Amino acid sequence: MSTETERHERGRLAPVVDWMENLSEAAYAYLLLIPAFGLLTLIAFYPMISTFWMSLLEDQTRGAETLGGFVGLENYIGILTGDARLARQFLDVQLTGSFPFFELGVGFFQQALFVTLSFAILNVIFTTLIGFGQALVLDKDFRGRRWVRVAVIIPWAVPIVIQGMIFYLMFQPTVGFGADVMNALGLFSATPLASSQDSFFILLIADVWKTSAFMALLILAGLQSVDRSLYDVAKVSGASTWQRFKLITFPLALPAVLVAMLFRTMDAMRVYGLIESTAGCTTVPSMTCMVIEGMFGGTRIYGTAAAVAFMTAAIIGVFISIYIVKFRGQEGGVY
Amino acid sequence: MARVTLDGVTKRYEDVTAVDDMNLDIGDGEFVTFVGPSGCGKSTTMETIAGLTIPTEGEIYIGDREVTKLPPKDRGIAMVFQNIALFPHMDVYDNISFGLRIRNYEKSEIDRRVEEAAEIVQLGGMMDRMPEEMSGGQRQRVAIARALVREPDVFLMDEPLANLDAKLRVHMRTELQRLHRRLDTTIIYVTHDQAEAMTMSDRIAVINAGKLQQIAPPLTCYNEPANQFVAGFIGSPSMNFVEAEVAGGRLEAENFHVEFDPSTTDGIAPGDRVVLGVRPEDIYLERTAEGIEYATELINARTDVLEPMGNEVFVYLVTGNDTETSMDVAAGEASDDQLLMNVDPDTQIEAEEDVSVILDRSRIHLFDAETGDALRHGLIDVASAESGTPERGVGDSD
Amino acid sequence: MATETETTQTQAERDQSDDSGPFQRWVSGSISEPGRAYRPMFWLVTVFFLVTTLFPFYWLFMVALTPEGQLQNVVFTPNGFNPGVFIEIFQILPFHRYMFNSFVIATVTTAFVLVVASLAGYVFGRLRFPGKNPLMLLVLLVSFFPPAAFFIPLNDLFNTNFDILEPVLSNGSLYNTPYALVIPMSALFMPLAIFILTTFYSQIPDGLEDAARVEGTTRLGALFRVIIPLSAPGVATAGVLTFIGVYNEFFFSFLMTDGQPQNWAPVLQGILGFQGQYQTLYNAMAAASIVAVLPMAILVVVAQEKIVSGLTAGGLKE
Repeated sequence: MSTETERHERGRLAPVVDWMENLSEAAYAYLLLIPAFGLLTLIAFYPMISTFWMSLLEDQTRGAETLGGFVGLENYIGILTGDARLARQFLDVQLTGSFPFFELGVGFFQQALFVTLSFAILNVIFTTLIGFGQALVLDKDFRGRRWVRVAVIIPWAVPIVIQGMIFYLMFQPTVGFGADVMNALGLFSATPLASSQDSFFILLIADVWKTSAFMALLILAGLQSVDRSLYDVAKVSGASTWQRFKLITFPLALPAVLVAMLFRTMDAMRVYGLIESTAGCTTVPSMTCMVIEGMFGGTRIYGTAAAVAFMTAAIIGVFISIYIVKFRGQEGGVY
Repeated sequence: MARVTLDGVTKRYEDVTAVDDMNLDIGDGEFVTFVGPSGCGKSTTMETIAGLTIPTEGEIYIGDREVTKLPPKDRGIAMVFQNIALFPHMDVYDNISFGLRIRNYEKSEIDRRVEEAAEIVQLGGMMDRMPEEMSGGQRQRVAIARALVREPDVFLMDEPLANLDAKLRVHMRTELQRLHRRLDTTIIYVTHDQAEAMTMSDRIAVINAGKLQQIAPPLTCYNEPANQFVAGFIGSPSMNFVEAEVAGGRLEAENFHVEFDPSTTDGIAPGDRVVLGVRPEDIYLERTAEGIEYATELINARTDVLEPMGNEVFVYLVTGNDTETSMDVAAGEASDDQLLMNVDPDTQIEAEEDVSVILDRSRIHLFDAETGDALRHGLIDVASAESGTPERGVGDSD
Repeated sequence: MATETETTQTQAERDQSDDSGPFQRWVSGSISEPGRAYRPMFWLVTVFFLVTTLFPFYWLFMVALTPEGQLQNVVFTPNGFNPGVFIEIFQILPFHRYMFNSFVIATVTTAFVLVVASLAGYVFGRLRFPGKNPLMLLVLLVSFFPPAAFFIPLNDLFNTNFDILEPVLSNGSLYNTPYALVIPMSALFMPLAIFILTTFYSQIPDGLEDAARVEGTTRLGALFRVIIPLSAPGVATAGVLTFIGVYNEFFFSFLMTDGQPQNWAPVLQGILGFQGQYQTLYNAMAAASIVAVLPMAILVVVAQEKIVSGLTAGGLKE
């Protein structure tokens, strides 16, 4: 019939191609999603469910089997009451009769929940402020902007192990000057990397240094999508630099800032590599640290480890929900 | 080259029926235009022919082959799109040769065809330009050339001129006609612009609300519209419509009447409601009217707004006693006491002037007030009966 | 609004003038007349950011140059001068092999993620089908979980010997093979790539896809010949982010191999490798870190414009 159709060389794949072409839109959509969801099922969904199941099983520290019988939420209760067989507790708080009605079983910076939450919150606050500042600088047109931008972004491209190394060396009394300087100022002890509190702040500085760049990148992208003519309108109507920032830049960049904060929060709550390569998980226990300890600590408390992993995810989920509820009110909310 | 046949094609989405039982038979080498208001289903109909949309029901044939479920690539069609849809990451040569390269044609064959197509649309020497460096008209030529090189059985054109400026649009119109004459390929053309449809097509398919209203040569659609929708859609400015009642030898409108013998027409009985349609050029000022063989009685009216176009003047008339300017007239809304008349530019006429007008009876259309179906075109047989001469039946084209 | 701002300004002025030194006077003067202060302030801030971001690198370089055993109080200059360390790191350990491993793993992962995420991004960005939003949320869910939550079952899985894999892998298990890193990291970085690509692909006009199909491509052909090439900035952004992410990743890199270079241990293990049982070669670790950061620095220099514009056009608008 059509010369064109005959011309079209039909290989062995032709039946497959024809079959795909004739699928309905929905069937075609599901077909193309198979690779992505296949991978996610194997690597994420299946392990998630499997981890959840493990978290309901008893720790089995002896014998050939790695896990014992079904114990329900016992592992979770153990974690939350400070009775888990871990070197550091997830949460260890007792209620008391007098003000402030609770007391800490061990130090604040030795409880994984507090460490992780305060790390995430302080981290997000500082990186947002600094990242916003950096983004504002990078948003300006000036000679050498390209190189300033590269310089500001580079820490973000540094492998975590190297980031940890830099700050480890800096505060290692035999190598770096950091420990001496801070000790002289009376802020840190002589060996800060052995102190939970000092190490916490070293980690915070190290992470703010690296991840501000990521914030700056996302906020900069937000700033650059602001219509430049709005600034001209504001200038013509006599707005000062500060007013322009308050009335135009900030509100329009806010969605981008919130998205960036969301990503940062999720990431900061999962902190592990940085701790592992500086102070170590015993000094500063994060939630992920405890999962690793439970699994590789030699104590074979797999049920507890799985419960901690799931708790971590649940707490991150709570934070995400807060963001998403907030986003609802924002124009151009996430996804 | 091929015939295109649509047999009961229907496309339903979840809650809307975009195309409703479409039956079309388009001849080999014919230039057929789908015309209708936006959202009427004309583009969806074309998409089903292209294979970009699979119909819910019905069959489509190109040539003798059923293609209802074939993917677009296997249908032997080429298409020009409304937004031109040139690939912005390819230069002119790559754009034009895209389809040939996909099909693994020989390089020499590709070059030959590209050169020939470029010559037809006058694009010589622009082969390495990028689409962004070209004007709207040039881009449109590239899009047409891209369709041409494929030497398709059927050309589909989906509002190809919609994004061009008015002057270029008129120019491209003539070029497309020339092109059709030269290629003699079946062309299906979609537009919402009735002027484009009128000027280029062998036949027009008027579509509304997913349904085919009429398919006929342009002048048939103009002179003998199948229903009130076609009558109102084809022709610019639109036909005037006035509701009337059939009563005792005349059509009784609100502010005037026209002599009419209901017994001369099937399906009309005294007491029926009908819609009387008359085009602006078929209304004449009584004082300048000449050579109107079959005229109605005088109708009194008052002029409202004049729109001098240079070659003609549009006069908005308000009939009846209540000659106050109504906002409806200004808004271009048709209403029973308003008529739009078209007069020569040198006619002495002013706004807010009382005038008498007549209608050309041979050019009056009657439509069923409920269904909108045409009842008859031209009332001259009635007029002859009135004036005593035997019925001649001329112009009674039903 | 204006009055509000003025009040804050006068308030600030009053605070400043309490104990006004020359700097405070300059500040308060600048606040009442912002234009004058703006340029020096701007440069001050810029220099501050440059110093804080770059100083750690400079210091690391100084540590690397300091000969082993003299690492006391290195601040602005090295304690001695030993550039040879940049050669030594390749002699003490096959550090180039670790770098090579990381590159292979990052490249393969990026390529794989881009292909799979392109299909998913095309589906989410351009097709209509029931269950679209729930499936999209499911993808997002993956990024909630700490990698640790996946790890225990994955570790079991990768240490299990599969007989069918015997012909391909020496002992039939994935542990100590590049797949042990490529597979989990693909899953880890896929959600971000899917979101970026979804936004980009959804912005390509329908007409272009239709045109490609009428011209003779299949639906998949239209994706690869038209939609993906037109979304090049988005694909580049997703690619660079994935590559850097994989190269920098800690968790799986640390745990999925035994640290031997011939077993596809990534650069992370190389750096930690200088931490011997009895002695830690800090200068070598520093030197190795600098060498390992260099490719990323070059990538940032080359791609920064793309990344910013890629995120501007896509990631954040939706």
